[in-house]
Amino acid sequence: MAQSRIWDLVKTQCRIFSLNYNPDRLRLGNKILRQRLRGPTLASWYPKQTVSFRQLQNSYKQFGLTTFDEAEDDREEAIQVAKMRGKGRPKKKRTAAESRSAKKKK
Amino acid sequence: MSMQFPKIPKKVNIAGFVNTRVLRDDKKRQVFAKYEVQRQALRYAVRNTSLPARTRVQAQLELAESHSYTRSTTIKNRCVASGTARSIFRDFKLNRYQFRLQALAGELPGVRKASW
Repeated sequence: MAQSRIWDLVKTQCRIFSLNYNPDRLRLGNKILRQRLRGPTLASWYPKQTVSFRQLQNSYKQFGLTTFDEAEDDREEAIQVAKMRGKGRPKKKRTAAESRSAKKKK
Repeated sequence: MSMQFPKIPKKVNIAGFVNTRVLRDDKKRQVFAKYEVQRQALRYAVRNTSLPARTRVQAQLELAESHSYTRSTTIKNRCVASGTARSIFRDFKLNRYQFRLQALAGELPGVRKASW
């Protein structure tokens, strides 16, 4: 068989299987294009938070159901206790004048 | 074409163990995924000998100047449960100690302690 016929065959093969016809074996960098993208798999290594407890609570609230958040309850109780002992947070100073007068008292 | 560095989101959206190093690694992963296509295009231009030499050198320079987070080599697999970077089982995303703990607690389906 003539050499040119064989090249024709290779050419057709490349066209059918969508390969790169490169009889001179030039370095065309096509192996880079053939590589798969690894970004999506690498980016999903750490599990993403899809639903928070607050969102769950809110979704139940629509149906008139109440949920019990122990951590939030503890926090509110601690605040109440601190307030009773006079250890609550100071009042927010809204204006510059207020914050200045607060400093002077000391 | 300049690679702008994306802003860090204020809210942490990782369900597992979180510390600074985990956050940083996650950041690297997100940035890499974002710029992967761009990087591959540049890499293709560098390897393609049929392109003019000037174009190839330009692509090389751009790759060299791009931020290190756009490279996958800076990404390190970290334990999802403890943030440790060493001895990670890739299949479970856990380091050996967390793997042992969870396996003994029966939290890993199909894993059981060998005994013969």
